[in-house]
Amino acid sequence: MTNATTSRKGTAKAATTSAKRASNVKPATVLIVGAGFAGLGTAIRLQQAGIRNIVILERASAVGGTWRDNSYPGAACDIPSNLYSYSFDPNPDWSRSFSGSAEILSYIEAMVERFGLQQYIRFNQNVTDLSYDDDHGLWHASTEGGASFSGRVAVMAQGPLSNPGFPAIPGIEDFKGKTVHSAAWDHDYDFRGKRVGVIGTGASAIQIIPELAKQAGKLTVFQRTPAWVMPRPDFETPDWQKTLFRKVPASQSALRKGLYLAHESMALAVIWQSPVTRLAERLGRWHLRRQVKDRWLRRQLTPDYRIGCKRILVSNDYYPALQQPNSKLITWPIARISENGVRTVEGIEHQFDAIVYATGFEVSHSGTPFPVRGSAGRLLADDWARGAQAYKSINVAGYPNLFLTFGPNSGPGHNSALVYMESQIDYIVKGVKTILKRNLKALAVKDRAQDEYNAGIQKRLARTNWNSGCKSWYLTEDGFNATMYPGFATQYANQMSELELRDYTLITA
Amino acid sequence: MAKIDLDKMLVKIKNTQWALSDIDWDAPGADLVTAEQWPQLKEFMADLMWIEHVGARAFAAMAKKAPTDTLREIYTYFHAEEQRHANAEMALMKRWGMLDGDELPEPNINLRLVIEWLDRYSDEMPVYVLGTVVPMLEIALDGALCKFLLDTVDDPVCHQAFEKINDDESRHLGVGFTVMEMQGHGATYIKMVEMAAQLMDPRLILGIASYFPLLNKMRDNVVAMGLSEEKLYACMRKFEKIGGRTEDGRRNVWFQIIKFHSRWVVDRNNRFYHAPVDAVVKLTGYIPRRVLPAVPSWVKELTYKPTA
Repeated sequence: MTNATTSRKGTAKAATTSAKRASNVKPATVLIVGAGFAGLGTAIRLQQAGIRNIVILERASAVGGTWRDNSYPGAACDIPSNLYSYSFDPNPDWSRSFSGSAEILSYIEAMVERFGLQQYIRFNQNVTDLSYDDDHGLWHASTEGGASFSGRVAVMAQGPLSNPGFPAIPGIEDFKGKTVHSAAWDHDYDFRGKRVGVIGTGASAIQIIPELAKQAGKLTVFQRTPAWVMPRPDFETPDWQKTLFRKVPASQSALRKGLYLAHESMALAVIWQSPVTRLAERLGRWHLRRQVKDRWLRRQLTPDYRIGCKRILVSNDYYPALQQPNSKLITWPIARISENGVRTVEGIEHQFDAIVYATGFEVSHSGTPFPVRGSAGRLLADDWARGAQAYKSINVAGYPNLFLTFGPNSGPGHNSALVYMESQIDYIVKGVKTILKRNLKALAVKDRAQDEYNAGIQKRLARTNWNSGCKSWYLTEDGFNATMYPGFATQYANQMSELELRDYTLITA
Repeated sequence: MAKIDLDKMLVKIKNTQWALSDIDWDAPGADLVTAEQWPQLKEFMADLMWIEHVGARAFAAMAKKAPTDTLREIYTYFHAEEQRHANAEMALMKRWGMLDGDELPEPNINLRLVIEWLDRYSDEMPVYVLGTVVPMLEIALDGALCKFLLDTVDDPVCHQAFEKINDDESRHLGVGFTVMEMQGHGATYIKMVEMAAQLMDPRLILGIASYFPLLNKMRDNVVAMGLSEEKLYACMRKFEKIGGRTEDGRRNVWFQIIKFHSRWVVDRNNRFYHAPVDAVVKLTGYIPRRVLPAVPSWVKELTYKPTA
C-alpha cells in the first residue's frame, strides 16, 4: 500500500515535469501513436471529417506496422484481402484472394500517398511515456530521442501484437547458431541447404514452414499444441474481376459484403459451441485426413481442444510440407536449448545451423507498452494489473480524451480485424468532433459505465469457446479474457455506432 | 511412499531432464560383457527396449485422456522419457555390438501384438485401465529386468545409464500409484458398474488377450536368461503391497483385478490360468510375420544416436 502511494506520488510528479517540458510545444488536436493500419486509418477518417491538426508518432522509419515487420517468407493474411482492407479505400487490384504481406504493405503505403498522410508522420519517434495533464486537458508524449509532443486527444494505435515474443525455454541464450524471429526476419541469412529448427506451430509458423521446406537441407518443426488447420480457398484473381471492380465499384462492395456475411456466420462455429462448431471440426479433420495418410502423424496433428478456443489457422501447404523428405515434426517436449540445438525429452539433441522462433508476440494482458499516466498521474498498468478493462474497448475511466484501437475485448476470432477497426475509428472521430464542437477540456468515461460494460462482457465471455478450458494468448494466467469480443462483428459495430454522452463526464475548457 | 503433489512432481520432472549425450557411450568397459552373456543379453536388451517403447505408447494414450492439465503434461513427459529409455538401451546395444547396422532389433511376436493393439485401441481406453496396467508392467518387468541386468552386467556405462533410467522410473511409479489412489477415491459401487461396462468392450478384451501371453512369454525369456523366477514375482508382489497401502488404493477396482491377476501369474500351480495362456504363447509363435500389418510409424522413432 505504501509503495503504491509512493509510486502514485512519483508518477504525479513525473506527469507535472512532462507537462512543463511540453508546454512550449503547440499541441496537435490528435496525437496518434503508431503508423500501422489503425493509426493511418484514424488519420484518414479524421482528415475526411475536416480535422487536420494531427501528429502520428512512429517508432520505425517506415509505415505499415505489423505488415512492415512480418516479412518472413510466406507471410500472408488469413482473411480475404477484399475484407482485410478499408471499406473507404477499396483496392480493385488485389492479386490473390489472400494476399501476401508485401502486397498488403504496398496497399498501406499507397494509402499514405493517396490521402497525403506523410505530413502528419514523425518517424523514429519511439514513445517512452504518455501522460495526461489535468490542468490543460492535454496529452504529452515523450520519445526516446528526448522529443516531446502534445495533443488534446491521444490515440493509442501501437498495435496489440508488435513486439516479438520468445518462449521461456531454459538455455535459450546458449545457442551458438543463427537465431531468427518470424516478426524480425533476417533477409540476408541464406537458409539453403541448412539444418533449420522451427519452434512453434501457430499462425506465422504454418506460413513459414512450407517456404523453409523448399530451401532448408533439413527442417525440424517443434510442436507443443496442434492447431485446427482449415483449407484455404486461395486463388489468383482473374483479370476480368479486376476490370469489373474498377468499372463497377459496387461489385467489389457486394463481394465485400458477401465475404463479411460469410465470416459473420463463422462466429457460430468459432465463438460459441453449436452444431456448426462440430461441422467445422469435421471439416478440419477431413482436411487433415485428406492430406496426411500416416496414422501416427495424424494423431500428432489432431487438436485436443474445441475449435475456436485458440486461433484457427488456414493452410493448404502446411501438412504437405511436414511430410517432405527433408522435414520432420517433433512433438516431444523441449527439455532445453543447448549450444548446438534443441534437446527434447526423448534424450536426443537436434542440432541446427539456425533456429527460427515462430512464437508470436509478447502479449501483455495487464501492462502497457510504455507508461501511460492518466488523471492525477494514475498509471494504466496499475489499473490493469488484474486484467485490462475499458469501456466499449475504446476509453478507460481515469484517462480522459484517450482512445484505444484494438483495446481490451475488441479482438475478433472469426472476422476481419479491420472491420472492427473501422468501427473504432469512426467512434474516435465522433469523440474528437464532440470535444471540438463543445470545446471540452475533458471527455471522460464514467467508472460506473465502464464497470457495467465489463460485467456484461465477462458474463457473455463465460459462454464462449475461448473460455472453454484451453490455454491461449487470449487469456491471462488466471484465465481472465481481456482480449476477445464475445459477439458478431455486427453487434460490435452497433455498440460503437453511438457515442452515448450519458456515459461520460464532460468538462468544458 | 507418501501421496504425491502432482504439480510439484511436474516441476521436478522438468528440472531433472537428461539426454543421451550426457553419457559417453564410447567410454571403456564394453568388453566387460562376456562372450557367453552376449547372445542372451542381446535378446534380453531387445525385449527390454521394446517394453520401454510399449510403455511409452501407453503414456501417450494416457496423456490424451488425462483428467487434469498437470497430469496430461506429466504423461506427455513420461511418454518421451520412456522413449529416452528405449533410446538409451538401444545405444547400449550399439555399444555392445548387438545392432545389425542401424537396424532396429525385431520385437518378439507377443510384443508385436501388444504394439498393434496399442496403436489401434489404446487411445480409446479409459485412462484408469492403462493407469493401473502400466505401473504393473513397470514394476514387474522394467523393475525386475533392470535389477537383474545390473546384477549381471559389469559395464560401468550400463550402470551409469540405468542409474538415470531408474531415477525416472521411480517418478513414474510414484505418479502411477498416486493416480491409482485417485481413481479409488469415491463410490465403489459406481466404479464396479463402470468397470463392468469397460470389461465388455471388445477392444479391451483384445488388449487383455495380448497382455496375458506377453507376461508369460517374458517370464519364459527371463528364466531362460538365468533370472530366478522368484525375483520377478517379488517385484509383482511389490505392486500389490504399494498399490494396496491405502484405503483409496484398495478401492480402485482395476487395482483389485490386476492384483488378482498377478497372483495367478506368480502361482505356477494355477493350471487354469497358465495352461491356456502358455498355449496362446505357443500358438502366437506360429503367426507368420507377413500376416501382420506394417509396424506403425511411431515404432520407427527409436534411435541410438544422441544427436540428430
